[in-house]
Amino acid sequence: MNNKKLILGLCFLALMIFAVWLIPAGNRPSLDLTLSADSEANCTVIMVGKKASADGSTMATHTCDCGICDWTWRHVPAADHKPGETRKIYHINQYKTWPPEQGLKWDLYQQDFTGLEIPEVPHTYAYHHGMFGYINENQVAIGESTIGTHRKLVNNTPAAKFDITMLTLIAMERGRTAREAIKIMGSLAEKYGYGYNDDGEMLCVHDPNEVWVFEIMPVGPLWKPESGKPGAVWCAQRVPDDHVSVCPNESRIGEIDLKNPDYFMASPNVISFAVEQGLYDPKSGKPFNWKKAYSPAEGSARSTEGRRARLWRFFDLVAPSQRFSPETPNMDFPFSVKPDKLISVEDVMKLTRDRGQGTAFDRVKGIRGGPFLNPNYYGTTRTICDPRAEYTTITQCRGWLPNPIGGIVWIAFGVQDTSCYMPFYAGITAMPDSFRIGDHWVFNRESARWAFDYVDFHVQVAYSYGLEEVKKAQAKWEAEAVTRTKEIDEKAMNLYQESPAKSAEFLTGYCLNNAKNVIDAWWKLGDDLLVKFNHLKFYNIEKRQMDRSQPAYPEWWRKAIRIFDVIFEEGVK
Amino acid sequence: MRKKISPPRLDASLTIILFSLLFIFGSSLSAQTKIPKANLPVLTTSAGQSNDVNTVNIILEEAGIKYDYCDVPDVDLIKSGVGLADRESAPGFHVEVYTDLGRFPKGTPYKTVIFALGASLKGMGASGLTVDAEEARLKRIVEYCQKNKIMIIAVHVGGSALRGAPGSDNERMIDAVAPFADYIVVTKDSNKDGRFTNIAKARNVPLTEVDYALDLVQIFKQLFQ
Repeated sequence: MNNKKLILGLCFLALMIFAVWLIPAGNRPSLDLTLSADSEANCTVIMVGKKASADGSTMATHTCDCGICDWTWRHVPAADHKPGETRKIYHINQYKTWPPEQGLKWDLYQQDFTGLEIPEVPHTYAYHHGMFGYINENQVAIGESTIGTHRKLVNNTPAAKFDITMLTLIAMERGRTAREAIKIMGSLAEKYGYGYNDDGEMLCVHDPNEVWVFEIMPVGPLWKPESGKPGAVWCAQRVPDDHVSVCPNESRIGEIDLKNPDYFMASPNVISFAVEQGLYDPKSGKPFNWKKAYSPAEGSARSTEGRRARLWRFFDLVAPSQRFSPETPNMDFPFSVKPDKLISVEDVMKLTRDRGQGTAFDRVKGIRGGPFLNPNYYGTTRTICDPRAEYTTITQCRGWLPNPIGGIVWIAFGVQDTSCYMPFYAGITAMPDSFRIGDHWVFNRESARWAFDYVDFHVQVAYSYGLEEVKKAQAKWEAEAVTRTKEIDEKAMNLYQESPAKSAEFLTGYCLNNAKNVIDAWWKLGDDLLVKFNHLKFYNIEKRQMDRSQPAYPEWWRKAIRIFDVIFEEGVK
Repeated sequence: MRKKISPPRLDASLTIILFSLLFIFGSSLSAQTKIPKANLPVLTTSAGQSNDVNTVNIILEEAGIKYDYCDVPDVDLIKSGVGLADRESAPGFHVEVYTDLGRFPKGTPYKTVIFALGASLKGMGASGLTVDAEEARLKRIVEYCQKNKIMIIAVHVGGSALRGAPGSDNERMIDAVAPFADYIVVTKDSNKDGRFTNIAKARNVPLTEVDYALDLVQIFKQLFQ
């Protein structure tokens, strides 16, 4: 290396060191004192009130972003129960995978019986079951996000009989409204203890009329039922009908007003337990603040280098007129916001695919994304769209239709940007067989989920090109399914008036058939992408030609390579 | 007026006292063996990176026992003694030093190590460990403790969900520590199959089985008395 290059290289390094040194200490990410959900940062819940949506529905998402978790689904039918029957309570770990060769998840988790059986109700409702309970026949729907809490409140001991997963299943079985579902979950957690596999958790619980944020915390490992004290502390706040909100693994409930039961609910110990634990001092003169007491999370989108950017990004996307700043500490963001325009289900789908494009936290900014702008390479930003997604749900509740037709859960397997949302009405009586199969460790062409991973894998070869192919397929299968919803609703309504059973049969047939077509299309798309970008060339399948100039490496990428070589490679001029 | 008969009241009182005593001893510890003596300073750690070490730490705090904690210490760090060589927490590596430095200055060798048993893929992933790596780490530190006469206490408070089939992640963590422990403490839910009882019997080491984690507070107080 000649002197000129050596000096240039040293200057570059000095600049880098100086730039890093310039970052004020206060802006560097620091370790939270709480057991934060940050390391997991696993799920995003987007919520839309009925007067904030384009069609009057309420909506919520759950991006089940895990990377190693279970993705299987089933339909659970309604059931009648005799007096004296009991409901067994199981520990169900949301981060666990049940090896398919050993059986189905819902059979295998029965091996983790807690020893607790609670009195059964005379009738349990039908619902769709993925990792959590998602929507039942009453249009009670749920989305989940882990929010974390103080380490001293975590209760992983067997004294805590309920995990969050089990609570959602009971809510599905017994809930007629969102409010009722929240009260059921809250009271069971208080009585029998909450935690074990989970700590601070948030659920969006909604029905056709209301959208609620329900947050629950364990009360520490020293709790036992004989103490007479609640085994959980929880709080719920309703999203105003004309507002939208989000939970990106951060507690969202701030100050509470329990005198306003239209908007707030809580366990009886909500404040007293915080005082007892030294998490709130009534003498401070400050009002009680739920998230500051139980799940404080420091930092802003900017100060965490995008690690906590989802909150700001969501608010900026739905209400750009309010000019939310990425510098604002996340704890200071409002609970909810009125969107600049009404939100459709397509808008929600698009939100779940957001990669922070064009922002300071864009994962393909500079040379990070490589020549084909791949956001899955290097970057600190945690975007709403996450490559670890097992599946994403959008639950939609529509009050102007009978419950079995009004409720829909849209399911997209795998990463949101390369996947396809498929509708499953609340009133259908079966889920596709291919939804019951597979795990992360064995490729399986019988498993629906693998079709979407198969496409995603081949998109990575030349991301920007591959994604265009996916968008064409999404326009064909997903956008058409959204458009067809009105027609399907009408057909189902006509049949419903004749016979609800016939309507359910029709909807089941439609949903299963649509899912099969989408899954077949995604397997074909994966095959086509493999062929098309084989050898990192461009094979035109229709013309049976290979274009050597494609995929094209952009000029800026060539320059970036040149700059790197000039600085670091010996003998390069 | 008929005179009141006192003996039955006495019997009732005695019965209440007896039942109370039975309840206190029965519920607080269904102790199978005498609680041994352990010495300070003590280090707590995880065998398998489940969050149960957090439970152990809270129990110690409730019992008023000062401790040091590291989630993934290796031999060198244990060898560095109290204060854990002033290492700072970082992603995937956590240390907390609460030992009374007035009584036990930095560098004082640990006399006791408490292992919280339970495998968590999430926890091991966060620490950048595989099951094999965690098992190998445990083997090294258990050997070091044995060689240096550091008391090993194995605690399993996670119940049946932190157990599994032979060879499963949880059982491997148990195998790595429990058979070498000088004292084993478990919740009843963790010992339904009697595995810990058998391990304790095989090595003739004391075992205490409790209903709830809360019951361990009194046990730890006695242990470090």
